Amino acid sequence: MAGQSWLADTFAGIMIITAAYCVSRLVVARRQHRPTDFRVDGVHVLMGIAMAGMLVPRLRVFWAGGWEVVFGVATAWFAWLTIRDWMANRKPRSQGAVSHPPAHHLQHVLGCGAMLYMFLAVTSAKAASGGTGTSGMAGGAARFPTLALILAFGLFGYVVWTADRLPGLATVAAFAARATPVPVPAGAASYASMAAQASGDAPRDESQPATGRVPGTPVSPRLAACCEIAMGVTMGYMLILML
Amino acid sequence: MTSHVTDARSGGRWLGGIGVAQEESWAAPDTRRWLQLGLAFIWLLDAVLQFQSFMFSKGFSQMLAGTAPGNPAVIAGPINWSARLIDQHTVVANGAFAVIQLLLGLGIAWRPTVRLALGASIGWAIAVWWLGEGLGGILNGAGSPANGAPGAVIIYALLAVLLWPGQRDRPAPFVAGRFTGAAVARLLWLVLWGSLAYLALQPATSAAKALSGMVSGMASGQPGWLAGLDNNLAAFLAQRGPAAAVVLAVAGAVIAVGVYLPRPAARAVIAVAIVTSAAIWIAEGLGGILTGGGTDPNSGLLLALLALTYWPLADSRPAATRSESA
Repeated sequence: MAGQSWLADTFAGIMIITAAYCVSRLVVARRQHRPTDFRVDGVHVLMGIAMAGMLVPRLRVFWAGGWEVVFGVATAWFAWLTIRDWMANRKPRSQGAVSHPPAHHLQHVLGCGAMLYMFLAVTSAKAASGGTGTSGMAGGAARFPTLALILAFGLFGYVVWTADRLPGLATVAAFAARATPVPVPAGAASYASMAAQASGDAPRDESQPATGRVPGTPVSPRLAACCEIAMGVTMGYMLILML
Repeated sequence: MTSHVTDARSGGRWLGGIGVAQEESWAAPDTRRWLQLGLAFIWLLDAVLQFQSFMFSKGFSQMLAGTAPGNPAVIAGPINWSARLIDQHTVVANGAFAVIQLLLGLGIAWRPTVRLALGASIGWAIAVWWLGEGLGGILNGAGSPANGAPGAVIIYALLAVLLWPGQRDRPAPFVAGRFTGAAVARLLWLVLWGSLAYLALQPATSAAKALSGMVSGMASGQPGWLAGLDNNLAAFLAQRGPAAAVVLAVAGAVIAVGVYLPRPAARAVIAVAIVTSAAIWIAEGLGGILTGGGTDPNSGLLLALLALTYWPLADSRPAATRSESA
């Protein structure tokens, strides 16, 4: 089923803006030594570009089968991180491994899995119709519509859950007020810095170069959550269109 | 470093999904907040369903106009007027409807706007109940518990009232009574399930082939497992329609009075209400959302959410009182 073209254009525009913003987060984090989750921002960039291409075919940037590989790898990667965190959380705290709650990566497993599902469904539907689809979502009726609905339900659940927590997220100003420079390694360790920063317990690391305006202050967590919401709603819309 | 992070997490300042710290003033959702989030989820689902292609076609306005026949002129007139208006401006009207529902869902989920969104949802739901659902078919004799009567959308409004975050909660044995008080909440439950019991005995449900025809009609366009389930259910009801209607009416009556029973019995009745709601949802074909033509998940899912708001709690004191005494 194809959606309204103006609606597809609108959602594609939102996705491009979101992807561009996530690129800017990565650039700012790198240049100003500010923490962000590079993995999540990176995958948001890929998702934004991929969804825009599915919604509006002229925006496609990858070869056939390319996105399936990308999101297949991403799903497996986040699934591994979820399992690793779950295992780490089972250990007594005295053993002291730094880890995220498993739910942190689970939502990215869901998002990447939904992307993989959509690409596989569109590919199989086009193969069945002789590749005559004109729109990115055209002929995208899902082979397993119940799975599409379950994925959409999961994404809407995460959207609502994230929106509920949005006002409670520490603002950049709050972080900056308590700013003490901390090491800013890529990926998981950046969260450790951010949590310690907000609790006001971050140890001072004088060896850290004080480049950028506010070193150690994370790149807006609230806007990161807004990206999650925009991605979730758009992906849910695309899954519902495939029913 | 490790211990600092652990402390931050145990202090509730860690956000699992996004992975950054929370403000200390942020409170974890209580039972009522989780139920509000359930309502937000359904509004969000509604919004996205409203964005489907079918809703931007003439079929949508025809579907709305189809709820008018059989209703009194004072009810049918505005339905026909709004259906004509939507027919002339289908894309704009339906786009606006979808955006309104999206804002309601996100507004309920975002704490600073929860009252505004719940209040707006009550007005919106009442308007849709009249102009979009023809008051759920309760006045034209077409309403049945198996086709969404007394109107799925009116249950949204009911949930918004019962889950309203008042300035001061009242003591109640279930979440639904925290704002209105237990007596009013029980009365609303009695009216809703009593009306379902009454409608189950009306010809639209109790006639020989009525239930069977209704359920088999839901199977069209569904995925195999749901079509099979509905077809088997329809075949079962083909010979037992009137008896099944009586069973449904008795179940509805028992559920209606169940909230007046002591806690253990009330819990059993609410569990029966949840199972009955699930059965109704299956009979409704999940509201047709898997067919690409469903505008909402219909009444079964909402009845189940409503039942959860009446689940008897171990402690009937308001959350604030509980935390003070702790």
